[in-house]
Amino acid sequence: MDLYLLTILLFLPLLAAASMWGHSLAWLSRVPLERIREHYRWIALGFAVAEFLLSLLLLIKFDSTTTEPQFVINIPWIEGLGARYHLGVDGISLWLVVLTTFLVPIAILVTWRVNNNVRAYFTSLFLAQVGIIGVFVALDMLLFYLFWEMSIIPMAFLIGVWGAEREHRVHATVKFLIFTVVGSLFMLVAIIGVYYYSGANTFDLIDITRVLAEARAAGKTLIPESWAIWFWLAFALGFFVKIPMWPLHAWLPETYVQAPTSGSILMAGVMAKMGAYGLIRFNLPLFPELSMKLAPYVMALAVTGLIYGALVAIVQNDLKRLVAYSSLSHLGYVVLGIFAFTSQSMQGALFQMVNHGISTGALFVCVGLITQRRQTREISEFGGMATQMPGYSTAFMIIAFSSLGLPLLNGFIGEILILIGTFSSTVPYAKVFAVIGAAGVVLASIYILWKMQRVLFGAVTKEENKELEDLTRRERLALIPMVTLAIVLGVTPMVFLSATDRSVNYVRSIVVQQSTK
Amino acid sequence: MQFSNLNLDYFSILPEIITAVAGVLLMLIDAFAKKGGRKIGPIFSIVSLVATGVAIVALWPRANSTSFAGMIVNDHLRLYFALVVVVCSIIATLMASQFLDDEALPPGEFYALMMFATTGMLMMASAGDLVMVFLGLETSSIATYVMAGYRRTDLRANESSLKYFLLGSFSAAFLLYGMALTYGATGTTNIEAIRQVLMAGKVIYPQMLLVGGAMMLVGFGFKIATAPFHLWTPDVYEGAPTLVTAILATGPKVAVFASFLRVFAEGFGAPNAPDVGGQLHDNWIQALAIMAAIGMTFGNIVALAQRNMKRMLAYSSIAHGGYTLIGFLTTEYAPVGFYMLTYALMSLGAFAIVQMLARQGDAKTEISDYAGIGFEVPNLSFALALFMLGMAGIPPTAGFMGKFYVFKSAWASSPNLRWLVIIAIVNSIISVYYYLYPIVVMFFRPQAEGFIKPRLTAMAQVALDITIIGTLYFGLFPNSALRILQQKAPAAQQIAIQK
Repeated sequence: MDLYLLTILLFLPLLAAASMWGHSLAWLSRVPLERIREHYRWIALGFAVAEFLLSLLLLIKFDSTTTEPQFVINIPWIEGLGARYHLGVDGISLWLVVLTTFLVPIAILVTWRVNNNVRAYFTSLFLAQVGIIGVFVALDMLLFYLFWEMSIIPMAFLIGVWGAEREHRVHATVKFLIFTVVGSLFMLVAIIGVYYYSGANTFDLIDITRVLAEARAAGKTLIPESWAIWFWLAFALGFFVKIPMWPLHAWLPETYVQAPTSGSILMAGVMAKMGAYGLIRFNLPLFPELSMKLAPYVMALAVTGLIYGALVAIVQNDLKRLVAYSSLSHLGYVVLGIFAFTSQSMQGALFQMVNHGISTGALFVCVGLITQRRQTREISEFGGMATQMPGYSTAFMIIAFSSLGLPLLNGFIGEILILIGTFSSTVPYAKVFAVIGAAGVVLASIYILWKMQRVLFGAVTKEENKELEDLTRRERLALIPMVTLAIVLGVTPMVFLSATDRSVNYVRSIVVQQSTK
Repeated sequence: MQFSNLNLDYFSILPEIITAVAGVLLMLIDAFAKKGGRKIGPIFSIVSLVATGVAIVALWPRANSTSFAGMIVNDHLRLYFALVVVVCSIIATLMASQFLDDEALPPGEFYALMMFATTGMLMMASAGDLVMVFLGLETSSIATYVMAGYRRTDLRANESSLKYFLLGSFSAAFLLYGMALTYGATGTTNIEAIRQVLMAGKVIYPQMLLVGGAMMLVGFGFKIATAPFHLWTPDVYEGAPTLVTAILATGPKVAVFASFLRVFAEGFGAPNAPDVGGQLHDNWIQALAIMAAIGMTFGNIVALAQRNMKRMLAYSSIAHGGYTLIGFLTTEYAPVGFYMLTYALMSLGAFAIVQMLARQGDAKTEISDYAGIGFEVPNLSFALALFMLGMAGIPPTAGFMGKFYVFKSAWASSPNLRWLVIIAIVNSIISVYYYLYPIVVMFFRPQAEGFIKPRLTAMAQVALDITIIGTLYFGLFPNSALRILQQKAPAAQQIAIQK
């Protein structure tokens, strides 16, 4: 079972996607059209929940005392190329896999009312899920690239077909596609380069990391320095676009705004983490020396994005755009934490990745629910929601507080770990960056509190807002797990941190050892 | 040469015999069957093509042998390319009956021409002698010249056919003249013998060899439509009926690459040969590198500006020719062979869909005609999207694996090729834009008025399914195809087998 667990986890969504096209099934062909949609929704939800429950097995069986990948399956895939079907999960990817499977059922619940091309919609969603999970579990570079690209196309369909406004969503889709595909082509060059110079005739990431480490221990450099910097940059370009890092974020606001709620959740919730995960998986262990050398520059970009995102978020009138920019700002912390190379900061970064998935995902859900009711995203159109929709407002408030880092909620733990870790880092100028990062927290409280004040509190000024109904049962079902997790992770972060501890420190030790030599 | 050494092994040319006989029989069927063999023609063609495929597989145990005094070489290069050619022909034939019905064209001679073209292509794959190369090339070319003008009453098709014929003959003349000069310089037309002459440094007229090599390069360059010899491509591809375009862009190209590999990578592939042999090798490598760079860049940049699907695919095929040449420069067979396979599958599929959507007389081939059809004809639009993504080199399609394998091999084979790989990657990035454009139009634009759902016959559906499954299969499991070509022994070891 352990051997095939990841494979099952990977292919169950594929089965789900295929099941959407089982319209020849006798019992479905007799159901009237409107009911058929309903049936497909339930089938989709069933698969998504099953997938989530299955992924919980990973958490239960995970052994946090080792840095080795677990649930490994490693069989030849393309012998002619030296590519292998090598899957595995360690402390770094464990929570990201679970986060993905957790967010998909929620995405299905909040977009229950999608009515055009329902089957194609769920197919895209599940195919994106295959790609995302694949990225987190693949330990072969070629396999990683395959899943990486596989996640892009269905996501583009989600935005382009089921997005918000016809005039804008096509443009957003094209922008998203061009940015991400171009970024990943650069990554492909780097993959080929690393494959070639490692001389191991394999794309297996674990093997290549070992070969490079052994060479370094023996005092040799396999990848010539003149090339290494380009490969590092090529990898980083692919990942930075995905996160996105300032100044490669140009696609982000439009894409996040135009995407359907499910798309925004997946993109901000997990696809952005694919980039950060890639940095930890590729850039750090493959090029430890360079990563250390370039760390101040990356951190400078990270804090720039962090402040920039927060400042732009403050002036937004569009609710979804505000969340999009706040997401840009939050991901600045993640990258800051990764490149500070202290145990705390990297743990914090990983923790923040999961937090951000939950809190930004939930924020997009909240925004999605309210836009669905009012068909507008303008902040000025709302006001006094707290009296009209008390349940909704409570959930919104908890999530917003988690996002700005209030103690006892998950966001606090992540941010404080990152900032403390960065402050004690040996990377040049780290202290400066930590201070600027702390300023970002202040800015975050401005835009979040102000937004809440304008949307939730005050008198109800608009006629249309007087008849809004509170959360339905289905919507409650989507929000309660997220809110609960935000509190649980905030109160007992050790559950999370103990699982990631060793793997994170292992990657960190590779980088730090190298630089102290 | 002694007659006892001729080795008249007819079994080794069984595939060519089957297709040639089938072609003759098809002409008889056309004359005697009811309704000109509209029904029986395609079925008979498919059966004979499958038989050809079986014959090729049956030749497998005899790999690495020669027959007919070295005119026919039966190695893995031949077997692999012959199989690809046959698969291309099968797919094209499956689509043909719907095409002929839709266009109300007489069916008989089309299938016969298809078989003769296939015969020529198979000959090119198995040729071990310059004369055989030329015979195969002409056999397939003459058949395709006629096919290009098959829609007799259409002016564009006539123009296309005439252009193709004139420029094709012109290039054939170049090729033939190059062959003649090479023969004069080396005293033989046998490709393996030419190689031995070069290796031994026994070239009689060194200058003549260089000129001959250059002329053959031009001739082959025309046939594979690489820049700067590509000028005929867009007009011919646009004017010819779309199905014929599909055939022109795939089968003959695959076969010419087989001969091209045989003559240049094998015959002229003597990097360490004394004096002129080595010089020739360096020269053609340099020339091809430049041709590859120009081909990719030109094809992609011009394709960006196209708003007609057929022209866009024509320019994209020029670009793909460029990528394939990068594989060619490694002088290994696997990158070229695999790239050609993936390209052929995707091109055939894409052109097939363009054909179905085009309606009679290719009326609807502008990309804007596809607006909003995405969910109207999901089977066609999703398949077209798959082929576009494949050509753009996005996994998990075969197009990605093909490109990846070419880039990887080129990067590893020599430092001189790395700049080409980088140009190719930049080109791939450019190409993403125009390959995604039809997808955006199909799925994300409001629907165009006056769209009528095309019909899809069972045979055409099968053809489409083969291309879709092939595109996905070789994108995920390329090993089965790669293994065949990697078995092919390097040219140097072939000499021992020859003797």
